[in-house]
Amino acid sequence: MNYHWDWGVFFKSTGIGHEIYLDWFITGLGWTIAVALVAWVIALILGSLLGVMRTLPNKALSGFASGYVALFRNVPLLVQLFLWYFLVPDFLPESLQTWFKQDLKPSTSAYISVVVCLGLFTAARVCEQVRTGIEALPKGQSNAAYAMGFTLPQVYRHVLLPQAFRIIIPPMTSEFLNVFKNSSVASLIGLMELLAQTKQTAEFSANLFEAFTMATLIYFVLNMSLMKLMGWVENRVSVPGLIGSNGK
Amino acid sequence: MMDFSQIVPALPALADGMVLTLKLLAMSVAGGVVLGTLLALARLSSLPLLSGLAKFYVNYFRSIPLLLVISWFYLVVPLIYTWLTGSFEPVGAFTSCLVAFVMFEAAYFSEIVRAGIQSIPKGQVNAGYALGMRYDQVMRLIVLPQAFRKMTPLLLQQSIILFQDTSLVYAVGLLDFLNAARSKGDIVGLPHEFLIFAGAVYFVISMGATQLVKRLQKRFAV
Amino acid sequence: MTAMIQLSNVSKWYGSFQVLTDCTTQVAKGEVVVVCGPSGSGKSTLIKCVNALEPFQKGTVLVDGISVGDPKTDLPKLRSRVGMVFQHFELFPHLSITENLAIAQMKVLGRSRDEAHERGLKYLDRVGLKAQAAKFPGQLSGGQQQRVAIARALSMDPIAMLFDEPTSALDPEMINEVLDVMTGLAHEGMTMMCVTHEMGFARRVADRVIFMDQGHIVEDCTKEEFFGAPRGERAQQFLSKILQH
Repeated sequence: MNYHWDWGVFFKSTGIGHEIYLDWFITGLGWTIAVALVAWVIALILGSLLGVMRTLPNKALSGFASGYVALFRNVPLLVQLFLWYFLVPDFLPESLQTWFKQDLKPSTSAYISVVVCLGLFTAARVCEQVRTGIEALPKGQSNAAYAMGFTLPQVYRHVLLPQAFRIIIPPMTSEFLNVFKNSSVASLIGLMELLAQTKQTAEFSANLFEAFTMATLIYFVLNMSLMKLMGWVENRVSVPGLIGSNGK
Repeated sequence: MMDFSQIVPALPALADGMVLTLKLLAMSVAGGVVLGTLLALARLSSLPLLSGLAKFYVNYFRSIPLLLVISWFYLVVPLIYTWLTGSFEPVGAFTSCLVAFVMFEAAYFSEIVRAGIQSIPKGQVNAGYALGMRYDQVMRLIVLPQAFRKMTPLLLQQSIILFQDTSLVYAVGLLDFLNAARSKGDIVGLPHEFLIFAGAVYFVISMGATQLVKRLQKRFAV
Repeated sequence: MTAMIQLSNVSKWYGSFQVLTDCTTQVAKGEVVVVCGPSGSGKSTLIKCVNALEPFQKGTVLVDGISVGDPKTDLPKLRSRVGMVFQHFELFPHLSITENLAIAQMKVLGRSRDEAHERGLKYLDRVGLKAQAAKFPGQLSGGQQQRVAIARALSMDPIAMLFDEPTSALDPEMINEVLDVMTGLAHEGMTMMCVTHEMGFARRVADRVIFMDQGHIVEDCTKEEFFGAPRGERAQQFLSKILQH
């Protein structure tokens, strides 16, 4: 069996319109970023809320948050995606259902499903990080805040969360990177993100080594850039004199 | 309305899927831990080339999606097999998935093992050398047994994540538990019920395993 | 004299374990009361009951006539009027010294930023640390941090101050700088309740001394009586142990 190496494949026409294979990768990367960023925003907001709830004295609220975490962490991501994409739409009210299934472009409905799925899935992980961060703070910090007359929301807003979020930047960085990697499951419901475009290129051009090498490179560079970005964020918010900060 | 009654006759097919899932899981964990341990030792080695290579391997696999690895290996492993052996014997999806999981998970396991080895005080190593042991004896008889005891809970937790991740073999059409449930559901015409059932089974198993690991952790924490 | 802080028959349990038993005492306006006793005697728990950081199951605590345990009491408001200084300082490490001094004034008392900063800096100057205003807590020594914590409490214009072992986490050479600030406060007539092992401080500035053991208030008398001839055997043992060093 002879393999025909051709690293110039990316600049060749795909045979569809005027597109070259590189265009596919760029479109794919665009979808990957669009999925990951929106899902991350959902995860960050919902996860922080849940993380705070888990640390509250109210049993019902913290119980709800633990239940959420248990559910979303113990069902495989792909199963969750299928549930959101295939099952949930059937349970929507009639009008929403026709909108989702008929009025939307297939790529849009797939996009919505995967963003919701990945957002809620990652929220469970963010929740655990936020909770860990809050619980890592000495009890005296909240005591001191209460002693000065802060209300419970103020204690979280001004004392606990600013510190907790700084502590958890490293684990949150890996969750952030995970969202990008996990967004590749979207390829299994037909969203043409990076992985799907890669597979398509491999099939169309028969240059599968080149196609997958390109995808790997893009993910690798993306990963490194995001890590640099988070490192910069960590530096920006680091507090002088605090353990783990780089400044003096 | 939901109709779960059709799941009962489908149970043998689902059980076959689960057997494949668990087989893949067990072999991946075994292979991943072995390769991961070797990577961790290489990473901690004093030879810059060896530790650099190990570091690159780990960073490489940690920065790409598992699904990419599965898809890639599915296409590539048969090619490489042919190149290496010259034979055109087809390599099944199971084998390429297994190779993908072993290589991918090894990167994650190696980080756990490395942390475990580093948590053993230097004095233990010195004591081993002082007794006249060689490097491999110190590792095999002194450091690794202590390290594995410490990191067992983490390795198990990672295995539970892997248990869920095996469902990604759906991408290459391997009939694991999820795929078996999906195809049975489609045949019977009850895809929702079978999907929910599959989700519930995954939930019960990984939740149960997580609780078990927690209990184990408490016992180990003595 | 009217009692600024009044504790009556306060009892507290952790589960079935009783940490406080029928504690009754008071701190009059302008009075300095030192609470001492062996570790685990409940003295820290007692002082935390005064501003309800620790809930209690029985008895009443009145601060300036307001019942702390009453569910209708606006706790944040009451706490904002009582200053507290902690064993581990509990400055907020993510905020600069100035922000530490100002944040509660702004968020709790609703003071403007300028006013809060001005007041905060005034008290920072008073504890002799004006030069450190722009630094972060992690850049100061323990003694400095504790003095900032005192300034932070003072800038809320408290009607009374609670000190919970303010010097026990400090290196010996830093204890005096903190005690000096506290002594100054006492001489100015601040109402103070201090949990401390610093018997020298108690001798110099306390009006009364409370000795606790196993959740009971065992001695509650003037400092002259206490240092003269404490009645209980436990108090005598405690004193002889503590005064040896």
